[in-house]
Amino acid sequence: MTVQAYTLDDLVKRLDPQATEGASQQYFLNLGPQHPAAHGVLRVMLFLDGETVVRAIPVLGYIHRGIEKMGESLSTRQFIHLTDRLDYLSALMNNWAVARTVEKAAGIEVSPRAEWIRTIMAELQRLQSHLLWLGVLGMDLGAFTPFLWGFRDREELTYIFEETIGARLTMNYVLPGGVMSDIHPEFAARVKKYVAYIRPKIAEYEALLSGNVILEERLRNIGRLSAEDAVSIGATGPVLRASGVALDLRKASPYGAYDKLEFQVPVGTVGDSWDRYWVRFEEMRQSIAMIEQLLGGIPEGPHMSVKPAVKVKLPEGVHYGQLETARGILGVFIAAAGGSDVPYRIHLRSPTFNNLWSVTRLAPGWRIADLVAILTTLDLVIPDIER
Amino acid sequence: MGLKIIDDFPGVAMKVPGGSVMLGVMDAVINWARANSLWPLSFGTSCCAIEMLMATGAPHQDMARFGAEVARPSPRQADLLVVAGTIVKRMAPTLRTLYEQMAEPRYVMATGACAISGGPFIYNNYSVVRGADEIIPVDVYVPGCPPRPEAFFYALLTLQRMIRSGDSLKSRHVHKRPVMSALPAGITVADIQEELRDLLERDSAVDVEKEAAAGPWAGKGYC
Repeated sequence: MTVQAYTLDDLVKRLDPQATEGASQQYFLNLGPQHPAAHGVLRVMLFLDGETVVRAIPVLGYIHRGIEKMGESLSTRQFIHLTDRLDYLSALMNNWAVARTVEKAAGIEVSPRAEWIRTIMAELQRLQSHLLWLGVLGMDLGAFTPFLWGFRDREELTYIFEETIGARLTMNYVLPGGVMSDIHPEFAARVKKYVAYIRPKIAEYEALLSGNVILEERLRNIGRLSAEDAVSIGATGPVLRASGVALDLRKASPYGAYDKLEFQVPVGTVGDSWDRYWVRFEEMRQSIAMIEQLLGGIPEGPHMSVKPAVKVKLPEGVHYGQLETARGILGVFIAAAGGSDVPYRIHLRSPTFNNLWSVTRLAPGWRIADLVAILTTLDLVIPDIER
Repeated sequence: MGLKIIDDFPGVAMKVPGGSVMLGVMDAVINWARANSLWPLSFGTSCCAIEMLMATGAPHQDMARFGAEVARPSPRQADLLVVAGTIVKRMAPTLRTLYEQMAEPRYVMATGACAISGGPFIYNNYSVVRGADEIIPVDVYVPGCPPRPEAFFYALLTLQRMIRSGDSLKSRHVHKRPVMSALPAGITVADIQEELRDLLERDSAVDVEKEAAAGPWAGKGYC
């Protein structure tokens, strides 16, 4: 292997052939990997003209943990605990995605109670994830209050999860055939109390943020992603829906208990940062409405349909399953050789990986401060990108 | 009339006849000040960052109670490097650079299983560094995956105790031995590493050809 060394001028010319030599203020800047607005260890190579971004190229590998490769040595049951650490803000939904794929492949039935528990937990976590995003958005744009408020309300949900599951963040709760443990006797009452608490709080956030002139100036019309671009990049989740494409797997191909629920899919119009912000805000309201509906009828029955089998042998062939996490569509691709519980290959189609690449289309033409707003409304979780 | 400084440092600060205060040893005062105003550098790479750096700074668990809420993104303004998350081989040089850029005295806290030993990513893995202490000296280890915020506070108090009792002006840059805040007495990190050495060496070398020929998928056309 040979390594070619470039000077900075070479790099600028190579990546931006139109750059005029010496005439403009061409800069090269690394945003990250250690940067407070990089949400972890994202590195974006920025080619600047003054303060305006000419070209932005994300560089990956700073938290590549080889989870997919590890999946080739572990059984799917063991692999589920690693998926917690992918997108740790939707840990439970990652578990569910793998469990669904295995259930579909091995033909395991799931009881209605287990599906109900999975659905309400997933919605609670979506709400929790969006609350964290709200706090981080405020912090990235220079306001500290949203961070304090978002975390205040998020922490209550953490306690609810801990009571039933036993963990605060990395839950490892959903497994093929059901869920690890039944819900705590106090669970329904606690969630009911929390819903009554959070509903007026969402209105309070709206009063604090949505009507704020500074926030509107920082987000409105900044970083427009057209529907065609969003589809061609493969963006999913709130990023895609903000661009006007109403694709939500909870509606399009319902799983869990979503087919029994009534909810709307919020869709943006122009696909700018403000739409992405607004879509997540509305999703919080929809999640609360879904949780209320779910609390209405808790099905009786076992939380685990089959005895928790350590070895779930997958039939030979290629299996695929997907669901909607807080950030978009997580697809799990398993190639099984048959006769073994260890798959030949596991590939994860993570939502943030595709969402990140919209930066290459969104950033050019905007200032660095706007790039920070764009990155925060994409809601990136870096370990999910790198896997 | 009681002065607080005299109560806080018996034998170090004392009243002299005539009414003024005399400081016996400056070290105790400096260490006391250092211990109670640790500015952490937020070096969060993965899951632990949520619990260690964000949840601890939030209202329910308030890091400001321990004087450590001023999280700085720049190493030049920070005293305490909180390694929160997995360190992969590509990130290792950056971590080392950040540590070198910090001004003395500097302290390092390895939070979470990944920063202690590689955690869940210790086996069958090619990219994860097995513990932050392979790159930089670590003062306090906080176990958990991720640790609870309370564990972080316990580690913070342990570090404060360590700072108060050690590191004098006469012998600067001399760190005390790493404190294990959770291991049983008598067991050190070196013991654990010694016990795992054979296993880790065997695990880190994989014969790809042999593995491919021996697996249950061999000859089935998936390769």
